[in-house]
Amino acid sequence: MNRTFTVALAGNANVGKSVIFNQLTGGSQIVGNWPGKTVEKAEGFTEQGGIRIRIVDLPGIYSLSTYSEEEIVSREFIAKQHPDLVVDIIDASNLERNLFFLFQLIELEVPIVIALNQYDMVEEKGFEIDDKKLSELLGIPVIKTVATRNRGLRELFQVIADILKTGKEGFGKVRYGKEVEERIAKLSKVLEKLQDISYPLRFVAIKLLEKDPLITSEIKSPEIISLVENLVKELEDIHGEKSETVIISESYSVASRIAGEVLEKMHDAKHDVSDSLDKVALHRFWGYVMLLGVVLFIFFVVFKFGGYLSGIIGSLFSLLEPYFMHLNMSNPLKELLWNGAIEGIIAGFAIVLPYIAPFYLILSILEDTGYLARIAFLTDNLMHRLGVHGKAFIPLIESFGCNVPAIMGSRVMERKRDRLIVSILATLVPCSARTVIIFGLVAVFLGPLYAILIYALDFLLIFIVGLLLNKYIKGTPMGLIMEMPRFRKPVFKVIFRQTWVRLKAFFYFAMPIIVVANIVMEGLILLKFIGPVTTALSPISTFLGLPPLATITLLFGVLRKELTLIMLATFYQTTNFAKVFTPQQIFIFGFVTMIYIPCVATIAALKREFGNLTAFLVSIGEFIGALLIGGLLNLLLRIF
Amino acid sequence: MKNKKILLLVHQGKKVRIIGFERRGAYFQRRLLEMGLLPGKIIEVVRNTNTGPVEINVMGSNLAIGRGIASKILVEEIDE
Repeated sequence: MNRTFTVALAGNANVGKSVIFNQLTGGSQIVGNWPGKTVEKAEGFTEQGGIRIRIVDLPGIYSLSTYSEEEIVSREFIAKQHPDLVVDIIDASNLERNLFFLFQLIELEVPIVIALNQYDMVEEKGFEIDDKKLSELLGIPVIKTVATRNRGLRELFQVIADILKTGKEGFGKVRYGKEVEERIAKLSKVLEKLQDISYPLRFVAIKLLEKDPLITSEIKSPEIISLVENLVKELEDIHGEKSETVIISESYSVASRIAGEVLEKMHDAKHDVSDSLDKVALHRFWGYVMLLGVVLFIFFVVFKFGGYLSGIIGSLFSLLEPYFMHLNMSNPLKELLWNGAIEGIIAGFAIVLPYIAPFYLILSILEDTGYLARIAFLTDNLMHRLGVHGKAFIPLIESFGCNVPAIMGSRVMERKRDRLIVSILATLVPCSARTVIIFGLVAVFLGPLYAILIYALDFLLIFIVGLLLNKYIKGTPMGLIMEMPRFRKPVFKVIFRQTWVRLKAFFYFAMPIIVVANIVMEGLILLKFIGPVTTALSPISTFLGLPPLATITLLFGVLRKELTLIMLATFYQTTNFAKVFTPQQIFIFGFVTMIYIPCVATIAALKREFGNLTAFLVSIGEFIGALLIGGLLNLLLRIF
Repeated sequence: MKNKKILLLVHQGKKVRIIGFERRGAYFQRRLLEMGLLPGKIIEVVRNTNTGPVEINVMGSNLAIGRGIASKILVEEIDE
């Protein structure tokens, strides 16, 4: 057997899907896009029992309806790409809701294996699940697992390999009440006449009865449309509820019955630490105090530790420079390579990485323990004023590390409108590079109070921009519906993986763009473009009240924000900026650098997620906005 | 029916039975149904602090529901 099999991992969010994925593939995933869609899936390869398997990690979803893009994409993947097997990863401690999702998978008529994951949580609650009985009732193999502790995984992989080799598959079967089943049968029969249906007939029939907008729009025959209308009306008359409520209720009653049959109470639940913690973490007053404390703690750790790390890495790299300069090469080429390419890489490693790596490590710990969901809870009301719900706060926090992973992280939002608002706001959040400037310039030469003032002004600006975006971007704001995971002890393997996923966006996406842009800019310097550009920019310099050379550095800041500071030092041959700048100029310079335009990597991320036009408008908008605010500050500071 | 009210106004610690939704067909209705908030289901209000989302327990797991949506879920209080 030489063919490669495809196995898809499906399941609700937060059930440990990525841990299983990672165990299967050894972490060697490649990230790709689905054709025509921007939702990401992770993909990897593995060998199990002598056969080669492509593993596709589908996004975490609760249903195969049309509530979010991720759901549509997942159901299309399963129906149209026909994976050889779908592993449904079930949160064993939340059996009914996960069975509800399983039933929808079953309707897609694919071979399924169930991983009854987080089984330890069931035991903690004092229950046992009869996995043999569950497997018999469903007609699908069931394996108990605790992925984070590596329990049951070997068995799961063995079962997957056996099924692929022998073709002994379990498709499962669900049957609802008589009234519903009769109508599904009637409708399926008529659907048989249709040619180009990419989903199983029974699935289409159910979705039509539920009035699924996408599937309904694919049906053109007026006959079928009127039959559907009649059947829907009959169902609604019998039950006195909307047809989708009827079908979902039926599905849940089957789920409850099965759960009732396989769940056995063994003893009382252990005292729940999570509930006690929530009394503080979600308290209407102490919750916010704790949140503030956590945020301050992160900043303190990141900038203490990051500064230390940055110094070490920087001095290691600078040891290389003399060797490089002795290489046998023409001088301009040497400068192009060193100042362009290598300085770009060094900056990434020595200036940005030491701050974002620890930052994302802490963030991943917060995520794995469940605290990020609490932050979304606490900030929900605030975020609603900006037209988005509490989950939006999470990408905004991510943004303090680097804007690029934050823009990709905006996918936690269900709708495009919300993702756009969050991404635009994220570009205004001071990333680690901008924080370096504020700390290295404003805090050093004007004092920490002014640094805090700049932050406060920036947050105010983000709030105002959010209000405006909410007002002018069309669409209804969505409310929050979020599962609250229990607090749990972090698992380090999982944390490191999450950290790496976030850092990867920086390494693979932001770094190459930074390096290439650096080389281009260095080329322009070598070709002596600086003089004419300075003249061209002089109106802006006057308007902002900055020296012309400082304005030039803003141009470089588009590549990487912290480059402005490095260029200043190069141009003025000093790092004592108090000598060459007035305090007003330092303040204006700091603030303008913070907001004036997203860096190239961020612009590229915007382009990738939202297209050229949005990326262009956001960049231009922020540029003009920063000029106006900078000019206004200049005016005000002159008067007072 | 006695004590019919919106979820938003239910005090924390109370158990209620879901009756239905205001504004039928709103975008959130299907998601709530899929999460198990079905007419007739009994849920417990775990947290309602008048400032943040309402946290409820449905079928053994907790859900946070924004105040806007919570004001459109109709429930009735039940006697313990």
